[in-house]
This record gives sequence, C-alpha cells and structure tokens, in this order.
Amino acid sequence: MQGRSARKSAWCWLALSPLIVIIIFPFLVMLSTALKPNSEVLQFPPHWLPQHIDWGNFAAMWKAANFGSALANSLIISMGATILALAVAVPAAYALSRLPFAGKGLYRQFLLVTQMLSPILLVLGLFRMAAAVPFAGGTLVNTRLVVIVIYGAFNIAFAVWMLSSYFASIPRDLEEAAWIDGCTRPHAVMRIFLPMAVPAIAVTAIVTFVNGWNEFTVALTMLRSPSKQTITLQVVNLVAGRYSVEWNQVMAAALVATVPVAILFAWLQRYLVKGLTVGAIK
Amino acid sequence: MSGRTVGLRAGAPLLLILPSMVLAVIIIGYPFFDIIWISLHSVSRFGIVRGFVGFANFAHVFADPVFLQAVLRTLEWTIAVVGGTVLVSVPTALILVQDFHGRGIARTIVMLPWSISLSMAAIVWLWSFNGDYGMVNAILQQIGVIGHPIQWMARASTAFPIEIAVGILVSVPFTVTIFLGGLSSIPTEIYEAARIDGASRVQQFRWMTLPMLRPFINIAIVLNVIYVFNSFPIIWIMTQGGPDNSTHILVTYLYQLAFRLGRPGPAAAVSLAMLVIVFAITMVYVRMQREEAA
Repeated sequence: MQGRSARKSAWCWLALSPLIVIIIFPFLVMLSTALKPNSEVLQFPPHWLPQHIDWGNFAAMWKAANFGSALANSLIISMGATILALAVAVPAAYALSRLPFAGKGLYRQFLLVTQMLSPILLVLGLFRMAAAVPFAGGTLVNTRLVVIVIYGAFNIAFAVWMLSSYFASIPRDLEEAAWIDGCTRPHAVMRIFLPMAVPAIAVTAIVTFVNGWNEFTVALTMLRSPSKQTITLQVVNLVAGRYSVEWNQVMAAALVATVPVAILFAWLQRYLVKGLTVGAIK
Repeated sequence: MSGRTVGLRAGAPLLLILPSMVLAVIIIGYPFFDIIWISLHSVSRFGIVRGFVGFANFAHVFADPVFLQAVLRTLEWTIAVVGGTVLVSVPTALILVQDFHGRGIARTIVMLPWSISLSMAAIVWLWSFNGDYGMVNAILQQIGVIGHPIQWMARASTAFPIEIAVGILVSVPFTVTIFLGGLSSIPTEIYEAARIDGASRVQQFRWMTLPMLRPFINIAIVLNVIYVFNSFPIIWIMTQGGPDNSTHILVTYLYQLAFRLGRPGPAAAVSLAMLVIVFAITMVYVRMQREEAA
C-alpha cells in the first residue's frame, strides 16, 4: 500500500468522523451533566459547559446509589466469577490445545451451544433453581454466591475458546525439553507452561471480570435487597420506575461505573482483536 | 518418548474438561429442563406447580396479541440492528485496516462502546433523548431540524428506532473486530497484482475484498443475530416494552410475564419457543463453520 500520507490520513479521519462523534457523544453528555447543579440540569436548552461546576453530585450519588457497598458487591461478584470461570476453563483449554482425546469435537460443540444461550432465555429456570436451594437460612435467591456461579458458568465457553487459541500459540519445545530432563507432565505445566500462559490468562480474566461488572439481567433477577446489589443495578435503579430522576447524580454514577472499565478495555483492545478473531473463526 | 515419562494417564484429558462440563451442565441444564417442565404445567405466581396442562400455556401465549406483536417486532429489531451493524462495520473496518496517522487512536475509539454495559449506554441515551431537557432536542433545534422539542420516548414510532440505533452502536465494535481479523488474513500481494493489471479501487473491492470477507460477514451476521435476538437491557431500561406494550420484543415480553405479571407457565412457553429458535440459528452457524473448514 502507499503508506501514510497526510491527505490519506485526513480522508480516513473524515470518513470515520460521524461514527466517532456518536461514540464520544454519550461520554460528553455524562461528563457535562455530572458536573452541573440541579438548576442547570432542568433548563432548556442545556449548555455543554456547566456555568457552576457542582462536585456535590458525586457525593450525593454515592449516598443515593449506596455506591460504597455497590462497588464492593460488583468487585466481589466479578472477581468471584472470574476465579471460578478460570479455574474450570484453564484445565479444559489446556486439554483442548495440547492433548488428543476422543470427543473433542463434541466438547467444542457443547461449548458452542452454551455460548449461544444467554441467561435471559433461562432466567425463569435460573430463578427457580436458586429458589429451590436452601442456603444460610433462606435460599440462594438474593445471594451474591448464586450470581457468581451463574456468571462463572456463562463465561466458560468464551474463556475456554480464548485460552485454547492462545495456548496453541505457546511453543511446546520447552515443555518437551523439561520432560526429557525428568520433569513430570504436571510439573512441566506448573513450572514452564503456566508462566508463559500468564498474559493469555490475564486477558481472559479481564474480559470475564468486565462481563460480570456490566451484567444486568441476572443481577436484576437475583439481587433483591439494596445491600447486595451491584453498581450496574444501582445506577439503573436511580432511573427505573421513578417519577423524578436526579439526572446529574445518575450521570455522575454512570461516569464512575464506566470510566475505569473503559480505560481497562482501551488498553486491552489490541489483545482482544487477536484472541477473539482466532477464537471466533477457528 | 514413552508415556510413562510424560506422566499422562488415559483419562487425564477428560478429567481436565470435567469441571467445566459439570458447572455448565448444572447451571444451564437444570434451568433448561425446569423450563420445559414448567411450560407444560399450571404454576402459581409463587412457583407452586399445580398440575399438568399439556400445551395450554403455549395456546395462551399464542393467542395473546401482545405476543404476536412482540414476535413481529423481534424480527424487525433483529433484522434492523444486525443489518445496520454490518452496514456500518464493513466500511469502518475497511478504513481501520488502512495505514494512516492516528490509526491506533481511531481503533481504540471505535472499540469504546464495547466496554460500556448495555445498561449504561441505555441510560445515557435515555437522558440524551429526554423530551424536556435532553441534549439531542437542543442540538436538533439549534441546527433547525426541529421547531420544538420532541418527546422521543413517549411513542413507539420514535422510541423503537432510537433503541435500534443504540443496539447498532453497541454491536459495531465486536463486528468490526471480526472484520479486522478477516481483512488482515487477505494477502496484500494480490492487491499489488490487481493494480498492475489495472483494476480500479471499486473493482478491487467488488471482486477481491468482498468475496474474501464474505465468510467473516456470514459469521458476524449469525453471531449478531443470536446476541441481538437475546438482547434485553436496552429496551427494558429505555421503555420497559411500553408505552402500552408497543416496544416489546420477545425477551422483554418474557421478563414481564415471568417477573412482573407473575405468569411462570406462559413465560416458560415463550422461553422454550425462543430456545428452539436459538438452537436452529446455532445449527446454521455450525454448518457454516464446517463449510468454512472444508
């Protein structure tokens, strides 16, 4: 190709500009509204720049959305789900990428089917399952545990796919050399393979974590009491079914819930392009 | 190398995949069979199973005009969102694969909506389209497109297209990612050869890029059809299927039946009907992958 001339770059940016404006727009709306006092929010036409910057929205939403405990809940649930999904997916992905076994194709198809089923289609059954299991004097409904287990299960397919496509690209030579030196296979896996697989595991872990952080349907169905609810759910609750919505607080909350994840993702994006395309196509 | 030094028993691979199978079978299998069971029984709103009713729940649902409208609207929603997503993503990927100044930044920006939960996207757009104080009304009025503020969310005729647009926006990053993978697999030498043979850019796109991108477009369509068909938060948060049930798609109708109206039996029937559709689409996907491999 001709390389990067200034003219070509300008054309590329120009062609992308409508999409980029639409993508940036919600972030600007969040920021602008989050910094406005109520009087400026309830004013038409609105201004992009607040006349008075009101940092108080962040403190107010922290209280209104129970943000401290929501943050803790989101962290516990997302991390729990990530650990669970990785604990079952790493061995499975190792088997898929390294070992021959009968039924490999069948297992892949099984994963594919679980990948296609979204929790919403099963949500009634999931709720009834949770309600049927006695736990700590009640049932699993309204516990973080059941949400962790469900997120873990629904992330298996993606995690195994992603991990096995990365694992396949890790050279076998070092592991095989270790066997020759008398190392057992499990030992070689622990000492040689896993350290090399850390980047792949990290990428998969982050995606699983973000999936849990952002999930809505299962959280909405299972987590009834405000003290158990995640950030995503709490922010939605500031809007849903209310006659008067404090939009500046909602946007402040949405901003805090979104920006850390967006930064994480922006950094991760190039690894994703590689892993996902390999995983999705092959 | 002997099997002994490698220390691998014959059952080892199965042992390694077993935990993932057990977790998935319990969490996905149990609810699946429970839904089949429930769909054939009369169930109280508190989940008490009263008795076998055959296909009465299905008959009840199929006779509900809201369900029939939701079926049509699901079709409209899926076709519009997936079609729109592909139409936006193909040119976007074609640009992002070019070599230009700031490409890395452009790629990062295009991928941004991926990181935001559907719920947050829905909330911010809901506020942006607010009829009284929203930024969209302000901008459209300023540039003279509309004379007075519009209550976008009060009618399905404006609310539903907005929901479709949000659906497209959040689906673009994943789809562009698939296309970027596809485009990077096309060897650049064939373009050199085509240029030497005097092929124009349009000809190159029509006869080289598009055919080679075709399998990736097919896969993106099938995967998106499944995701969009199952997409719940956007419509639930922006309109809850309202006003007057006029923006329900099957998933929001299902959720309303199950958890707002307390009708588990009919809700299970809807679930089951949707599961059958998803299985059918999955089979199409499997077949496509097999043809791809052949």
